[in-house]
Amino acid sequence: MKLFKLVFFLSLLIFGIVVMRSEVNRSGRAIGKLRNEVEIKEARNQYLKLETQRLLGPEEIMRIGQEKLHLRRTPPSQIVKLEK
Amino acid sequence: MLRLRTSFAYNAKARMKICGWCVLALAVLICGKLFYMQTFQHEEFASKTERTIYNYLKEDRLRGQIYDVKGRALAESVRTHSCGISKRYVQNENETIKFLVDTLGLSKKELEKKFKGTQKFFFVAKKIKPDVYTNLAPVLRTPLGQGLEVTPEYERIHPYGSSAIDLLGMANSKNLGLSGLEQMFNDELSQDISKRRARRSSRGEVIYDRSLKEEKSVGNLYLTIDMLAQYYAETALDKAVKDYEPEHGIILVQQPTTGRILAAASYPRKDGQSLPFQFTYEPGSTFKTIAVVSALDAGSVSIHDAIDMEHRSWDVAKGFTIKDKQHKKDYMTIPEIMAVSSNIGAGKIALELGAKNLFYYITAFGFGTKTDINFNGESKGHVPPYTEWTKVDTVTKGYGYGISLTPIQLIGAYSAIANGGWLMQPHLIDHIEYPNGKIEKKAKVQKIRQVIKPETVATMKKVLEHVVLEGSGTKAKVPGYSVAGKTGTAEKLSKEGGYAKRRHVVSFCGFTPIEDPRFTILVILDNPAKYTFGGTAAAPVFKEVAEGLLAMEGVPMDEPETVPQKKK
Repeated sequence: MKLFKLVFFLSLLIFGIVVMRSEVNRSGRAIGKLRNEVEIKEARNQYLKLETQRLLGPEEIMRIGQEKLHLRRTPPSQIVKLEK
Repeated sequence: MLRLRTSFAYNAKARMKICGWCVLALAVLICGKLFYMQTFQHEEFASKTERTIYNYLKEDRLRGQIYDVKGRALAESVRTHSCGISKRYVQNENETIKFLVDTLGLSKKELEKKFKGTQKFFFVAKKIKPDVYTNLAPVLRTPLGQGLEVTPEYERIHPYGSSAIDLLGMANSKNLGLSGLEQMFNDELSQDISKRRARRSSRGEVIYDRSLKEEKSVGNLYLTIDMLAQYYAETALDKAVKDYEPEHGIILVQQPTTGRILAAASYPRKDGQSLPFQFTYEPGSTFKTIAVVSALDAGSVSIHDAIDMEHRSWDVAKGFTIKDKQHKKDYMTIPEIMAVSSNIGAGKIALELGAKNLFYYITAFGFGTKTDINFNGESKGHVPPYTEWTKVDTVTKGYGYGISLTPIQLIGAYSAIANGGWLMQPHLIDHIEYPNGKIEKKAKVQKIRQVIKPETVATMKKVLEHVVLEGSGTKAKVPGYSVAGKTGTAEKLSKEGGYAKRRHVVSFCGFTPIEDPRFTILVILDNPAKYTFGGTAAAPVFKEVAEGLLAMEGVPMDEPETVPQKKK
C-alpha cells in the first residue's frame, strides 16, 4: 500500500510537471507567434510611414502639381510672406 | 529448504547492495564530473554556449536615423528577412519551388536551375518586405517549410530615393555604415545589440527581447541639409547635365552668415562620393575675386585705379604672354576688369599685391587646408608656398591657375565676402540626438577669422554686383533681388602637357541678396561636352537654384523695381 501510494504521488508529480512544461511550451509558442506578428506589423507600418513621406516629398508634390494640376513654380518675387 | 531460501535471500540482498553501490558510485562520478565542469570548466563551456547562441546574431545591430534640418527622415532602417535553401532538408522539391514562386514571385526556371546546381545552400531572396514575410512565416514550421532558412536582416530605406545619397552613403543589411555620413558617424548611429537582444529558448529557438527596443542606445543624426533646397539643387543640376553633358557637376549652397550647408548636389550621384568636398580643380576666373578683394584689402590697388591693358597682349616674361580677346580697352578699372573677366587685369592686380601678400590672403581664406567637416575623401587642394613662385606664377594665380581647390573652400571664401569679411566654419551636421535625451550640437556658429575689412567687403560687393548687372554674369540675375557673383571658365590640364583648349571647367559663384545675404551658391560643370562658358552655362543654373531657395525661405525682395511689369 505504501509503495502504491509512493508510486501514485510520484506519477502525479511527474504528470503535473509534464502538463506544466507542455503548457509553458504552448504559451511560449503563442507568445512567440504574437511577438512575430507585432514585429511584422510594426515593420509594415514603418514602410507605410516612409512611403507617405516619399509621397509628401518635393519631387512627388512637384510631379503631381505639374502633371495633374498643370501648376508652375512661382517666382520668388510673387511670394509674400505673412508675418505672424 | 530453509537454508536454500536464506542463501537466496542473502544473495539477492548482496546483489542489491552491489547494484546500489554501483548506482551510487555512478551518481557520485556524474556529480563529481558535473562539479568539475561547473567549477573548473565553467568558462570554457559558457563561452562555447555563448558562441552557439550569438554567432547567428553577431552582427545584429540597431541603427539610428538620419534627418534633414526640418526633421524629414532621409535614411531609416527597416527589419526585413532573407530566405535561403538548404537542399538536403527539402522534402518535396517541386512543392517548395511552387510555393516560393507563388509567395516570393521568383522565376521558376531560375529556382529549378539553382536546385539542380551543386551548391548545398543558396539564397533565393533578400530584403523580403514584411507583407511578403507574413505569407512566408506560417509555412516555416510545416513540412513544406523544411529546408527554408529565413534570416532577419535590415534594409536601409531612403524615402527620397537617390536624393543626397552622395552625402548619406550606404549601410549594409547588417546595419553597418559603408560610405559617406553613414560610415563617418557609424559609432553614433549604430550599436551591436545581439548579446543583449536575444536568448535561446529550451527548444533552441532564438527569442528576441522586445523590451530592449525601448532601451536602444543609438543616436539620430540631424543634417544642416534642407531636402527642399537639395531638391532644387539636384533638379537644376540634372537639367544642366542634360543640356551640357559634363563629366562632373556640382552645386553647393551655404548660408553665408552661419556656414551651414543647405544643399550639396553631385553628378554623377554615387553613394558616399560627394564632389563638393572631394573634387579638386583649378578655379579659373572665379578666383579673380579672391585676388582682387585681397589687393583692395591690402591697399595695393584702389577701386578707381585705371590699369594699363598693354594693348590686350601682355608679355609677362620671356615666352609667356597673356591676351585679352573679350574687350578693346587700353585702360580699365577694377569693376570693368571683373565685368569682362580680364586675365591681364587680374594678373596685374595680383602682381601689384605681391606673392607673399597674395599667399597670405589665399591661406587666410582657407585654401590649402581641409575644412573641419572632414568628409571622407575631402581634399585640401594645393597651394604651393610663395617662396617657390615665379613672377608668372604670381600673375597666373591672380586669375585662378596654378592652384587647386575644393568647392567647399571656394564657397567659404565667397561667403566671407558676403557676410562682412568673416571666414565661417562650414557645417554639415546640425546635431546628434541621443536616446537619453542628450543633444550634441554640432553646427554652432563659429567664426574662424576675419579675412577682410568690412569696408573692403562693401567695395567688393559692388564690383561683384556689377559683374551680374553688366558683365559676364548677367544670366544669373534674379528679378526682384540683388545678386553678386563671378563667372569662371578655366581650361583643364591636358594629358600631353599644358592646357587643353577644348576641355573646360565652367562655374559661377555668387550670393543673394547682397545687403542681407541668405544664400551663397556655387555651380560647377566639369568638362561639358558642348563648348560653353561660365556665364552661359553655370550662371542660369545659379539663377534657377536661387529662385527656388528665395521662394522656399520667402525672402522679401530688395530690388522690386527690377521685376518686369506685366502689360495691362
